[in-house]
Amino acid sequence: MKKSKHVIALLLSLVMALSLAGCGGGGNSSESGGGGDSGDGKVSITVFNSKSEIQEYLEDAAAVYGKENNVNIEVYFSNDTVSAHLATRYASSNPYTLNMVDPKDVYTLGAQYGYDMSDQDWVAETDYAISVDGKVVGFPSCIEARGILYNADAIKNTLGEDFDPSAIVTLDDFKAYLERLVAAGMELPTGILKPDWSLAAHYLQQVYEERDDVEGFVQDLYAGNVDLMQDAKFNALMDAFDVLMEYNRFKAGPISVEDDQVHQAMSEGLDAFQFGGCWEWNDIVDYDYTGNIGIMPVPQNLTDDYTGKIVGGGSKYFYIDNSENTTDEQRAAAEGFLNWIVFSDEGKQLISDTCALVSPFRNNDIPCANDIGAIVKQYADSGNMIPNYDYDPDDHYSVLGAEMQRYLAGQCTREQLADAIETYWSTTTPVAH
Amino acid sequence: MNQKKLSYKIKQYLMFAGPGTILFLGVVIVPFLYGVYLTFTSWDGVSRTKPWVGLQNYLNAFQDTAFWSALGRTVLYSAFAVILINIVAFALAYLVTSGVKGQNFFRAGFFVPNLIGGIVLGYVWKFVFNRAYVALAGAIIGGTAPSPLSTTNGAMFCLIIVSVWQFAGYMMLIYVAGFMSVSDSLKEAAMIDGCTPSQAMWNVTIPLMRASFVQCIFLSITRCFMVYDVNLSLTNGEPFNSSVMAAMHVYNTAFTYKRYGQGQAEALILFLVCAIVGVTQVMIGKKGEVEA
Repeated sequence: MKKSKHVIALLLSLVMALSLAGCGGGGNSSESGGGGDSGDGKVSITVFNSKSEIQEYLEDAAAVYGKENNVNIEVYFSNDTVSAHLATRYASSNPYTLNMVDPKDVYTLGAQYGYDMSDQDWVAETDYAISVDGKVVGFPSCIEARGILYNADAIKNTLGEDFDPSAIVTLDDFKAYLERLVAAGMELPTGILKPDWSLAAHYLQQVYEERDDVEGFVQDLYAGNVDLMQDAKFNALMDAFDVLMEYNRFKAGPISVEDDQVHQAMSEGLDAFQFGGCWEWNDIVDYDYTGNIGIMPVPQNLTDDYTGKIVGGGSKYFYIDNSENTTDEQRAAAEGFLNWIVFSDEGKQLISDTCALVSPFRNNDIPCANDIGAIVKQYADSGNMIPNYDYDPDDHYSVLGAEMQRYLAGQCTREQLADAIETYWSTTTPVAH
Repeated sequence: MNQKKLSYKIKQYLMFAGPGTILFLGVVIVPFLYGVYLTFTSWDGVSRTKPWVGLQNYLNAFQDTAFWSALGRTVLYSAFAVILINIVAFALAYLVTSGVKGQNFFRAGFFVPNLIGGIVLGYVWKFVFNRAYVALAGAIIGGTAPSPLSTTNGAMFCLIIVSVWQFAGYMMLIYVAGFMSVSDSLKEAAMIDGCTPSQAMWNVTIPLMRASFVQCIFLSITRCFMVYDVNLSLTNGEPFNSSVMAAMHVYNTAFTYKRYGQGQAEALILFLVCAIVGVTQVMIGKKGEVEA
């Protein structure tokens, strides 16, 4: 009896130890499809999607492709920080085969784990692929751009005339137009999103992006050689921001307003203008959408090469994992899926119509189902798009987003904001690239 | 069998504590030691290499003013929250053990907030502060009332309120157990000796409940120091990063800013501060414990 007790205890210990070892070494679990073979002779791959609004469509598309090509594709989504989420997968030796990340992550994650796709057919069809060390590792899933969103129907209902965005070029034009809207009864015609990513990574970012020598300017910021209060672009953009603040529908609580309130106001025509980007279309149409929402450049009283242009570029990049946890068969299947997205009718339809994204591929002539995206496509095709700058330090949006929020709340002056931006850059380690 | 033999003792240990020890080693000790090792590297969280940098991450952590601000803020928040949680929990426990009608229903009711996850709870309260409060206060004053979440002090106040609401019910259960462990005969004896009910409470019941206080204060201190979920969903560090607590700063440093080694070093400092405060409190509390 005693002996059997001992044997049971030892067995229990062994089971515990083995189960722990199992937890740690689950790289080839069926959930991950890491082994590549699902047991039915099909290759299994996993796809990480970081764009919540297209999860359902991507799953459907993966099912269609999988059926046609004898591949099992599982599509996963996480709203966690992309790099943090993928770090946990790599830490458990269980990476996704295909990973959708932001452009800046391609330079870090893709540089280490990105499979060389230089020989792929789709490379010739786009200007937005990302190369690291001479190898194409980033597949652009869409083009996204930022600017002033407008609700043309709301303007027409207020002023009784069609809205022509090209008539607003300077900030003076914009302000005069806002005054007309106010006089016609739209008391506060603008909206501002308050999250740090919108204020710093999107709005303030334009200060760096809208100039000839972007890299030189950023290096000067690192070196502490920039006096922003003397910088024409900074002042022009902050003047525009001041106007947006002055007419902000949510000026009573500019930093407690939630994104959906701003989107609802734009969607239902309660205000007419908002700084944002084409990805917001999905949030805007959720409400009593009046239709006819578009995008135009941020009006500035500074005429330069960037007047009449919006800032944008490739977004949400896929890279294929090159680690030993992914087999060559899986990589081939992932390449096949990406080519299917670019060249098949279903793939083109998926991007432009079903997901309502702006396709970064020249061979995709299906109209974008996203009203804002369709205009972004025109800017991109006509060469009126200013490229994104993707090499900010990782804490840039958080630290300077807080400073921009302070400015939005009226708790600091432009001088103090400029000082905070200069101090941040001059005390930050430059990002190697 | 000789019970003093080492082999016998090992077998006995393995039989009773072996599985637990292996689990504890596997999920606590080994990751902890690995985490300590990572504090000496400049790992970014994903790269294949983990370059050794010695004590650089600790130096960076000591120079990281945002971390120390967050830690100071956490201490302040914890101080207020711990005091309020325990006062409210004690009062609730007193209420639901005093024989009021439907006290079991109230016990369950007060405990419910603890069953709601911190993330959900944060979103619910965010709605209350940002929408309901703004609408209600606006209607009362006949104008526009700003959300308390939009001011620095307001956001901290909201965090404390929500934490009290979340944890008070849980601590209440421990205090209820404490109240019930004090024999009625002792209280009755005190009353017969001439004590008023409040004197009996102060001089008999509360001293005998000291173990409950030690436990509740320890639990609330550790929970408040490590707060993350409510912080994330209720304020997300806003406004102006003024409500970023230590755990959120550690997470951001490690994962969002991709400075894993430094984040891990800061986590270790946070752990030490929390452990020192918690253990000191337990030691002081245990010293004066009395039994009937």
